[in-house]
Amino acid sequence: MRCKDPIIVVKDLYVNFYTYAGVVKAINGVSFEICRGETYCLVGETGCGKSVTSRALTRLIKSPGRIEKGEIYFYPEPGKKIDIMKLSDEEIRKIRGYDIAYIFQDPSASLDPLYTIGYHVAETMAFHGVVQSIKEGIKKAAQVLRLAKMPDPESRVRAFPHELSGGMKQRAVIGMSLANRPKLLIADEPTTALDVTIQAQIMNFLKELKEKENLTLLLITHNMGLVAEMCDTVAVMYAGEIVEEAPVEELFKNPLHPYTRGLMRAVPKHVGKNVTLESIPGTVPNLIFPPPGCRFHPRCPYRFDPCDKKRPPLIEIEKNHKVACWLYAKEGGKR
Amino acid sequence: MATKEAEEVYEKKVLDRVSDAFVDALANLFDKIRPGWKVRNQARVDEWKLMFYAFNRSPIGIAGAVLVAIFIIIAIIGPWIAPFSYGTSLALCNQTAYLAHPGTVVKIPKGCEALGVKPGTYRLILGGDSFGRDLFSRILYGARTSFVVMILVLLVGPWIGVALGLISGYYGGAVDETIMRITDMFLVFPGLILAIAFSAVLPSRISIFLKDHPWVGSFFLHLFALHPTERGALASLVSVIIALWIVWWPGYARLVRGMVLSEKENTYVEAARALGVSTTSILFRHILPNILGPILVYLSLDSGGVILTEAGLSFLGVGAVPPIADWGRIIYDGSQYFPSAWWLVFFPGLAILLTVLGFNLLGDTLRDILDPRTRRSIEFRLKKKPKTKEEGEEK
Repeated sequence: MRCKDPIIVVKDLYVNFYTYAGVVKAINGVSFEICRGETYCLVGETGCGKSVTSRALTRLIKSPGRIEKGEIYFYPEPGKKIDIMKLSDEEIRKIRGYDIAYIFQDPSASLDPLYTIGYHVAETMAFHGVVQSIKEGIKKAAQVLRLAKMPDPESRVRAFPHELSGGMKQRAVIGMSLANRPKLLIADEPTTALDVTIQAQIMNFLKELKEKENLTLLLITHNMGLVAEMCDTVAVMYAGEIVEEAPVEELFKNPLHPYTRGLMRAVPKHVGKNVTLESIPGTVPNLIFPPPGCRFHPRCPYRFDPCDKKRPPLIEIEKNHKVACWLYAKEGGKR
Repeated sequence: MATKEAEEVYEKKVLDRVSDAFVDALANLFDKIRPGWKVRNQARVDEWKLMFYAFNRSPIGIAGAVLVAIFIIIAIIGPWIAPFSYGTSLALCNQTAYLAHPGTVVKIPKGCEALGVKPGTYRLILGGDSFGRDLFSRILYGARTSFVVMILVLLVGPWIGVALGLISGYYGGAVDETIMRITDMFLVFPGLILAIAFSAVLPSRISIFLKDHPWVGSFFLHLFALHPTERGALASLVSVIIALWIVWWPGYARLVRGMVLSEKENTYVEAARALGVSTTSILFRHILPNILGPILVYLSLDSGGVILTEAGLSFLGVGAVPPIADWGRIIYDGSQYFPSAWWLVFFPGLAILLTVLGFNLLGDTLRDILDPRTRRSIEFRLKKKPKTKEEGEEK
């Protein structure tokens, strides 16, 4: 156990998508835990299962996807354990948006074009009984939006989504998520659709907010710069599996998994000589027919005998630094 | 600023001034109810004006609107302006109006209260039918019957389809398959035949229900403007309405399901789910309002269809029972005397034709105007005209 006081624990999660082309094994035995108050990052290429993992936390996986097996425990308070998989639809709905809130990638699509910003915020509060009616919620919406650093919140309450800029829309979406003071905020690539300056503003603001509100943040991104800036613990995902998990400094200093190393080499550095960026050879595997053994082995420069036969376990090499690779599993210690 | 430019660009005619004044009055009314409304919704007000402007440029749409307006006015005030009642024969006052030609003049003598009219001379403008009743009055009453049936059918039937389509499209999978296959079953069966079957079977049940609940009967009596003595005839009219509810939903279920399939993929639906909003609320507060436009257009196009089907049903003998005035029934009764007493078929037929035509023309134009994309193209086309004129003057 990495955390003394985890907020969410995921054990051996499998998610499949039943498409016409075949069964996509999108998440293949993912286990991790997030400590209360930390920022936990999921990084990886497009389509590696970051978003699916985050949505699985509140069972938001839609048909044709299905959570095959796995355990998810949520601790709203220290010592109070909730088994997410055993909750009824009604009970899980009470957790969504109240204890666990989401911020999605594209703020302009996350808002219903027919309703005002105030209504969106009020709806979230009214559904969880924080306010008695939508009307009352709209009155309180300005307060919430001020918390989300929306400029001129009193008049924005009555604005429609199309009247706001991208950054303001994202602030409105963050306001919606924060309306009920959630304990865990899941930000799924919150700044992908925004430009760099706004991105910095939003990220600084999330950081501030985390400290002020004692929030736990699960950040999903493919931007390594953002990871270095924001995260406490990082998990690297590849083809539906966590291949490496480490504290952020450790990961940047000493990446162990060949995939993580490849990722690091593909990021431009500020200092040092201008080196040509490297790319990882090959492409992301087809998850309908995933490669046997380690899913990374067809692209791995270090592959050897057991790689294409047996799946490597996620083992702890150093304190809190876990990696799933046969290079380390065999010796059971440092390289 | 924008409105000033618009005034310079568009050429305004009398009708546009009237519609502009109407929109302005409406905006002022909203502004009074909610101070500040007008400033915040200036764009919306301009858009409404543009909608009316585009509508005024469509002769087809205006013709449709006029026909529909006439129909609705007649349906509402018809029973009051009709010279005679729909069921009473002029023979009660010893007047022979049997198959009277259009324009025949009858004299109602004193001391004849059975007709409920003042003594004097009356002209039967559209002639009399085989029972000596005034055809003009019957057509006026018939408008009320058609109108009430249309409204009641459209208030319920399509919305059954909308609800089923929402559920089917949103849940998908087995639910979708089940609902859509049932919908297919209804669609392969001709609607009119199914409606005949239902309206032939239902009346006995409904008459029992109406006997047990007299207030429901009184409600319908007032709606259809019938004499209290006609209570027994209500069951058949109500069963027509229910039969049409049963056959009128499958098209809407299909339409709505398709739109929901694309609408539910929007992130705002997922965001609502992630915020813990309940499924019913997502369906009715987020998805339904976003797909309402096409449903409304479909409804306006369908109104004519309901009137036609209802007339068809009574023509075939399953709708309105004799003394009740109904366009389809009048044609059926008159068809036996057709070549000689042509007016018995011609005038009610004309009424049906003009009404259905009106609704179709109106619906067609509304479809163009309510869709923002085609509205833009209309606006673009209209804006250009005055500009080329100015250029011509400069040259």
